[in-house]
Amino acid sequence: MSSISNALSFIPFQSVNHHVIPPSLLLRAGNAANIEVLWFRKCRLSWSSQKACVFRVKAVGDSINSTGSEQVEDGAPVDFAAKASDSDRRVGALRVMIISLPSFVALVKRNAGSKYAMGIYIASTFVVIVARLILSRCKIQNKHGSVAELVRRGQLRSDRRGISNPLKYEDPFNNPQVKIEKNKSKVEMCGKVYRLAPVTLTQEEQLIHQRRRSRAYQWKRPTFFLKEGDPVPPGVDPDTVRWIPDNHPFASTATELDESLAQSNVFQKDGVPFRVRAEHEALQKKLENIQTSKTEMGIKQNNVPERERSAEPSTGPYDKVEPNPSPDHGNHNLDSSGNR
Amino acid sequence: MASLLSSNTNVSSSFVRFSPSSHSQLLPSSLRETLPLPSSVRRRRGPFASRAVLQWNRKPQLAGETPRVVVITSGKGGVGKTTTTANIGLSLARLGFSVVAIDADVGLRNLDLLLGLENRVNYTAVEVLNGDCRLDQALVRDRRWPSLELLCISKPRSKLPLSFGSKAIIWIVDALRSRDAAPGPPDFVLIDCPAGIDAGFITAIAPANEAVLVTTPDITALRDADRVTGLLECDGIKDIKMIVNRIRTDLIRGEDMMSVLDVQEMLGLPLIGVIPEDSEVIKSTNRGHPLVLNQPPALAGLAFEQAAWRLVEQDSMTAVMLEEEPKKRGFFSFFGG
Repeated sequence: MSSISNALSFIPFQSVNHHVIPPSLLLRAGNAANIEVLWFRKCRLSWSSQKACVFRVKAVGDSINSTGSEQVEDGAPVDFAAKASDSDRRVGALRVMIISLPSFVALVKRNAGSKYAMGIYIASTFVVIVARLILSRCKIQNKHGSVAELVRRGQLRSDRRGISNPLKYEDPFNNPQVKIEKNKSKVEMCGKVYRLAPVTLTQEEQLIHQRRRSRAYQWKRPTFFLKEGDPVPPGVDPDTVRWIPDNHPFASTATELDESLAQSNVFQKDGVPFRVRAEHEALQKKLENIQTSKTEMGIKQNNVPERERSAEPSTGPYDKVEPNPSPDHGNHNLDSSGNR
Repeated sequence: MASLLSSNTNVSSSFVRFSPSSHSQLLPSSLRETLPLPSSVRRRRGPFASRAVLQWNRKPQLAGETPRVVVITSGKGGVGKTTTTANIGLSLARLGFSVVAIDADVGLRNLDLLLGLENRVNYTAVEVLNGDCRLDQALVRDRRWPSLELLCISKPRSKLPLSFGSKAIIWIVDALRSRDAAPGPPDFVLIDCPAGIDAGFITAIAPANEAVLVTTPDITALRDADRVTGLLECDGIKDIKMIVNRIRTDLIRGEDMMSVLDVQEMLGLPLIGVIPEDSEVIKSTNRGHPLVLNQPPALAGLAFEQAAWRLVEQDSMTAVMLEEEPKKRGFFSFFGG
């Protein structure tokens, strides 16, 4: 390396100004007459005139002047011998400096003896790596249950999160997935290219088809659904009757509901639905009846001994039987109330 | 795949041809003022303006009087009526419109499963008619998109009294129309019609003003679809649009399946959507997570979104996909690149 620097150094044009280099040593390579081909040891460097404009060549040592004669710069003769010795000194200083720097291998060899220090370095590096791994694991454990973790586990879709921006395309006809060529001859959808053909159906053809169908299918929508065998109500067009077979699997013509009641159920906007209310009222009424019947029974139970006492004052203590109403008796009372 | 462009018959359909920024400016101001805003849009001005997780920057212009009562029917079973109802209903909700989806399939309801709401259905329309609950108690609100509500007609083993004819469902729609409570009247009432043309079909179509016919490109579904279209037209429902479901471009290319244009030629109905066969449909059905919520969006989900957009704007397709173009092979494709 030092030999190369000894032989030739290329210095960019601007950096030349920062170095104290005698202008006489700067050979203007643009002058083809001065330098055409320079030989330094086994290196041959060819210089084109364009490159020479960018760089100046600083030649040092014996190769300054291949002819050995003096050069003339700006009309003054150049003393190459003095300038060469000056440059020799500088290069020599540089060489000494380079040699004085210890190489990496030498450094390693010199410190090879301190095995303890190396061991400490390696151990500390290992400890740092382990510590970082433990810290990162702690961080992941702290994120359990987070949205990011839910997305990672597939329980939440990443494109449905509030923080994410949804994909926004222009419209279904103009987006990255669908592209129609300008001349409308092809369309590209999901990476596949399809050839397009224009629709040729005209209004006249549509009308022709409509007329054909109206001739072929003469039909009236049935508005009455009757079970097979039922008589047709008076004033009903038989063409509008749909006969439902007895064994129709899904539909029945019989309903317990009144038509107007069903309609009002559909149009009910708020409040308790009809059947729920009706059932609730019926249940409540039943409960009330049960309660009233119980109270009546209780009154009867209280009254019976007094009446018996007043009616039969001479009966003995063994003849007094506690009225024990049988279940049938109770049911009878309920039946009489009309609730069962 | 299905995407396809919208017709130019409607002023509001200009969104395809113009840049988004110019779209609203291209509409005359008077027209912009007169265009009815959905109630959900009006509500958004509140303090908690649903910075609703809307996926689309722009919204379609709602055409027609609200609530728009749309029956989704097909005639044949298994063509995707319930899937269409779930996905279009949820798409409309995501676009900011309030939607009530009614599962009118008496005895064989499935819409609650597709929406993932099966555990929350406690009351049905039968209980409302019987007076066991009010209508607002029978409506199940979707927690993902609260502007979507579900009403089932009956529980699996219960029977809907048909002696009222179709009046029951008409009452329900009228009650929803006159609803004053918090969500207000819905912008859309989607009725999932049962298969066939039996009593269930008659009940389902009774309150509808418009219909979406779902069909697959096979001859059996097309015959039933034509018959159902004829019955709907006889009943006075003239606004019928079509969704062709389960399209396979590879079969179309090999001429083993009718193309969408063939289907349209046979039925003569305007198209609002073409849904490709997609394995994601069955996955989303099993999960109770409608396709349009998939992230990233699936091919069929995008097609449902487009169909919902056209439904809102009363628009139809002007171009349909024919076949898939083979992929361009790069320089390194020889080496498997």
